[in-house]
Amino acid sequence: MDKIASARNELAELQCKIGEARQRLELTLEAAGAAGVWVWDIPGQRLTADARFAALTGQDPIELAKGVPTSRFFAGIHTEDVRRIRLAVAGILAGAEVFSKDYRLLREDGGIRWVHADGRTVLDELDQPIRFHGTLVDVTDRKRTEEQLRVAQTAGQVGTFEHIDGYGTVSVSRQFCRLLGLHPTSVLPVRTINLLVHPEDRPIIDPKLHNEPQPDRNIEFRITRADTGETRWLARRGECHEDLEASGLRYIGVIYDITESKRIEERLRLSNEALSENVRERTRERNQVWQNSRDLLTVVGVDGIIRDVNPAWYTILGFEQPSLIGMSFVGLASEQQQGNAKQLVSFDPGSPPASRELELVGADGSPRLFSWDAAAEGELIYLYGHDITAERRQAEILRETEALLRQSQKMEAVGQLTGGIAHDFNNMLTGIIGSLDVMKRRIDNARYDDLDRFMNAAITSAQRAASLTHRLLAFSRRQSLDRKPTDVVPLIHSMRDLLTRTLGESISLETVLPPDSWQVITDANQLESAVLNLAINARDAMPKGGQLRIEIANVTLAEGAIPSVDGAAAGDYVRVSVIDTGEGMPEAVMEKAFDPFFTTKPIGQGTGLGLSMIYGFVRQSGGHVELASEVGKGTNVSVYLPRNLETAPVITIADAEPTPLGQGETVLIVEDDAAVRLLVVDVLEELGYVALEAADSDAALPILQSDARLDLLISDVGLPGLNGRQLADIARQTRPQLRVLFITGYAAMAASRSDFLGVGMDMITKPFAMDELATKIRSMLVGC
Amino acid sequence: MSFISVTLDELERDALTELVNIGVSRAAASLRKMVGKQVLLSVPSVEVVTQNAAAALIGQRESDDLVAIRQEFGGAFSGKALLIFPEDNSLDLVRAIMGDELDSAEVASLKDEALAETGNVILNGCLGTIANMLDQSLQMSLPKVLYGDGKVLFDVNKEADTDGLVLFLYINFSVRDRNIRGYIAMIMDLPSLGMLKELLGDFISRVTADSNWAVGG
Repeated sequence: MDKIASARNELAELQCKIGEARQRLELTLEAAGAAGVWVWDIPGQRLTADARFAALTGQDPIELAKGVPTSRFFAGIHTEDVRRIRLAVAGILAGAEVFSKDYRLLREDGGIRWVHADGRTVLDELDQPIRFHGTLVDVTDRKRTEEQLRVAQTAGQVGTFEHIDGYGTVSVSRQFCRLLGLHPTSVLPVRTINLLVHPEDRPIIDPKLHNEPQPDRNIEFRITRADTGETRWLARRGECHEDLEASGLRYIGVIYDITESKRIEERLRLSNEALSENVRERTRERNQVWQNSRDLLTVVGVDGIIRDVNPAWYTILGFEQPSLIGMSFVGLASEQQQGNAKQLVSFDPGSPPASRELELVGADGSPRLFSWDAAAEGELIYLYGHDITAERRQAEILRETEALLRQSQKMEAVGQLTGGIAHDFNNMLTGIIGSLDVMKRRIDNARYDDLDRFMNAAITSAQRAASLTHRLLAFSRRQSLDRKPTDVVPLIHSMRDLLTRTLGESISLETVLPPDSWQVITDANQLESAVLNLAINARDAMPKGGQLRIEIANVTLAEGAIPSVDGAAAGDYVRVSVIDTGEGMPEAVMEKAFDPFFTTKPIGQGTGLGLSMIYGFVRQSGGHVELASEVGKGTNVSVYLPRNLETAPVITIADAEPTPLGQGETVLIVEDDAAVRLLVVDVLEELGYVALEAADSDAALPILQSDARLDLLISDVGLPGLNGRQLADIARQTRPQLRVLFITGYAAMAASRSDFLGVGMDMITKPFAMDELATKIRSMLVGC
Repeated sequence: MSFISVTLDELERDALTELVNIGVSRAAASLRKMVGKQVLLSVPSVEVVTQNAAAALIGQRESDDLVAIRQEFGGAFSGKALLIFPEDNSLDLVRAIMGDELDSAEVASLKDEALAETGNVILNGCLGTIANMLDQSLQMSLPKVLYGDGKVLFDVNKEADTDGLVLFLYINFSVRDRNIRGYIAMIMDLPSLGMLKELLGDFISRVTADSNWAVGG
C-alpha cells in the first residue's frame, strides 16, 4: 500500500516536474526564437517534430513528439500556399534534394505567420530517399521588412544589391535589374553588371574590396541600358561589412537613377560656362575697342585727374600712357581753352560744356582739335575725343577753294556782261555822239532845217541806254520796286498797240483778259517791261511768223505746285502767260534759261539778262515763274503774281499828257553833280518854278532852316556828308509839311521804296526824262 | 522583350520547377558517382520566353562566348534541350568533373568529350525524370557541343519566322567547392508546350491530393 502510495506520489511529483520542464522548454524556445525541427520518415510515413514546430503550426507538441501521419506537415498552411508546398514536397519525395520554401501559416488568433522551411532528403545506399528533415523559422518580421523594402525600392526606384568579395555573382533586387534594363532576376554575374558601365566611369561592383570595412562609398557613373541602349546616369551608395557567414567582406549597396539631376546639373554648368565665356568675350571685345580705337579714350576722376588713357593718346598726341596717368586733364588743353576743358570734366549737369570742341597740345607742342563726348558714371567721367584737326583743315581748304571759284565765276560773269553792255552802249553812244556831231556841224553852218531828226535819234539812243542800265539794276536787285496794287488786265490792254508794233506784221497777237481778274501787288512798270521782254523773246523765236498769246488767269496754287522752277508758296495768284508758237527750247536750254547772261542770241544782240531779270523781279514781288517749252511747238512762260488781298486805290495807266507847268512854287535842288543840277534847275525854271540850288547838305541846311518859302525839296540820295534822307529828316524838323523828292542812281538802302520813304516823300530814278520829272513834281505839289 | 508567361500559370511553373529539381537532383546523384565528390544542383526558377527573348536574355547576362550541349528529344512533347555555360566557366566544369590533376593540354583535348558526357548526364536526368514523373516516355538524341553567342544557340537567325518558345531554367552547380552557373533551355513549339501544360495539370492534381505521393512510393 505504502509502496503504491509512495509510487503515486512520486509519479505525481514527476508529472509535475515534467510539466514544469515542458513549460520551461517552451519558454526557452520562445525566448531563443530557435527553429522548429521536423523529421519525415518516408518509408514509415510518419512525421515527428519538436515543440517549436508544434507551436508554429499550432499543434500538440506531445503528439508531434510521438509521431503523427505525414499529412500533419501541411497543418496550418495558408490555403493559397498549400498546393505549392505539396508540389515541392512531392518533388522531394520523388527524389529532389533541396527544399527551400517560404509560406504562410495561420495563427490561432486568426493572424498570419510567414515561415521559411529549409529541408534536405537523406538517401539510402540505393539513392532512394528515406528521410526528409529540416527546420522551420518564423520570418514574419523579415517578410514585412522585405515587403517594405520592396515597396520602398519600387516607389523610390532604388535597386539593391549585395556582393561578397571574391564572388563572381551578385544578389540583386528586381528594381536593380530594371534600372539597368536587364530582365528581372535575383542573381547576376559581376561582369554583366560592370560591362554596362561606361568605360571611363568606375564600375558598380568594385573588383576588389578593401581589407577593412569602409563606412560609405558613393560613386556616380553612366550606364548603357541593356534593353534600349539608352545612356543613363546612376548613383551608387553602400556600405562594406564583415561577412557574418563567410570570412571576408560583404558590400551592401543601392543604385538609383540621377539622369535628370545630372542633366539639370549639366545644363546649369553649360549655361554657367556660356555665361562666363560671354563675359570673357565681352571683356575681350571691349578691350579691343579700347586698344584699337582711333579716338582718344580716357577715364578721368571727379578731381579731374586722369585715371587711364588708351593707346590712341600716343598715336595721335605722342603721350606715353604712364606719363598721362595722374596728370590733370585740364593741363593738356592750350591756355585759351582751359575754361572749356574744365567744363568738359565738370560733373555739374547744370553747366554743360559750351563747346564740345577742345584743342589739346601734343607732346611736340602742336595743337590738335578734338570733338568730345563725355559720360559720367559714379566717381568717374569717361571722355571720348575724336580728332577733327584734319577735317577742319579740309573744310578750311574747301572754303577757300569755293571762294576762289566764286570769284573767278564772278569775273567771268562780269566779263560777259561787260562785253554785252559795252557793245550795246557803243552802239547807243555812236547814235548820240553821231547825232550831236551832225547837229553841231549843221548849227555851225546855220542849217537849222531837219535838226529834229537828229535830235530824236540822239534821244532815242540815250533812252535805250537808260533802259539798259535800268534792266541791269533790276537784275542786280538794286533797283527799288514800286510795289502797288495793280490791275493786270488794263495794263496788258494798254500795251496792245506797243506789242503789235514790236511784233511786226507776221505775228498775230491774241490776248485772253478775263474781266474778273484779281488785283496783284507788283511794280506796274516792271511788269510791263517783263511782258514786253517776253514778247520780244517770243518774236525772236518766231522768225517765220506765228501767233503770240497773252493769257491772264486767276489760279490758286498748292504748296510746291510748280516744282520745275522754284516750288511755290501756297496761295492765290494771277497768272500772266506769254505763249508763242515758235521754235521752242531743247531741255538743255530750258535748264539754263533763267541763268544770268545766258543767251542763245549772237553776241551784241542780247545781254542774256531777259529771263533772269524777269525772274528776279517776280521773285522780288513774291511770285513765281514757270517755263514750259517743246522744240518745234513753242514756249510758254507764265508769271505768277501774288493776289492783292487788301483793297487799295488802283493805279491807272494814264495816257501821255502835256508836260504840266509850275505856278511859281519854290523848289530847292540839292545835287552834287553839277551837270545834273544845272539841267534840273534849267528845267524847273522853264516849267515856271522858282529854283534854289545847293551842291551838298552843308549848303542846303541854311536855306532849309531859313524862313524863305519852300514848297519842295529835291535831293539826291547819295550826297557827300549827310545823305539825302538825313537831310530831309533835318528839314522836316523845322518844316514838317515839306515835300521831298529823292533822286537816285541806285538806292542800296532803298530796295523797297515804301520802307525808305516817309509821308509826303517820293522818289525818281536816274536817268529820267524831263517830262517824267515835271509830272512827278506836279503830282506832289498838287496832292498837298 | 516579350515574355509569354500566360502559357504556364504560377502553379504550373512551380510544378515544372519541382520536376526539374527532381531531374537535376537525380543528375547530381549520377555526377556524384562519376566524380566521387559532393555535387549539388538546384533550379531556383523557370521562365517561358520566346527564342528571341531567350537569346537576348542570355546575351544580357553573359557577354562572353558560350558553350552549349544540345540534345533533341521526342515523345509526347518534343523539342531541343540545351545545357549552357559561359565558355570560360566550362573549363572549370571539366576540371571539376575530371579532377585537378590533369594539365591544361589534357583538359583542352578532353574538353568537348567531358562536356558532352556531363551534359548528357544532366539533360538525360532532367528530361528523363520529367517524362517519368508525368508518366510519359521520351527518346533523346546524342549530345552535341556548340560554341557561340545566344543567337547561335537559339537559332534566332535561322528560325526568325517560327519564333518558338523556350523554357528557360537558371541552374546553380556546386562541384568540388566550385561555383559554376549555367542554364538549361528547352526549345519547344506551341503544340508541345500545350501538351506539357496539360500533363503538368494532371500531375498537380495527383500530387496535391495525397501528401505521401511519390514515384513508386
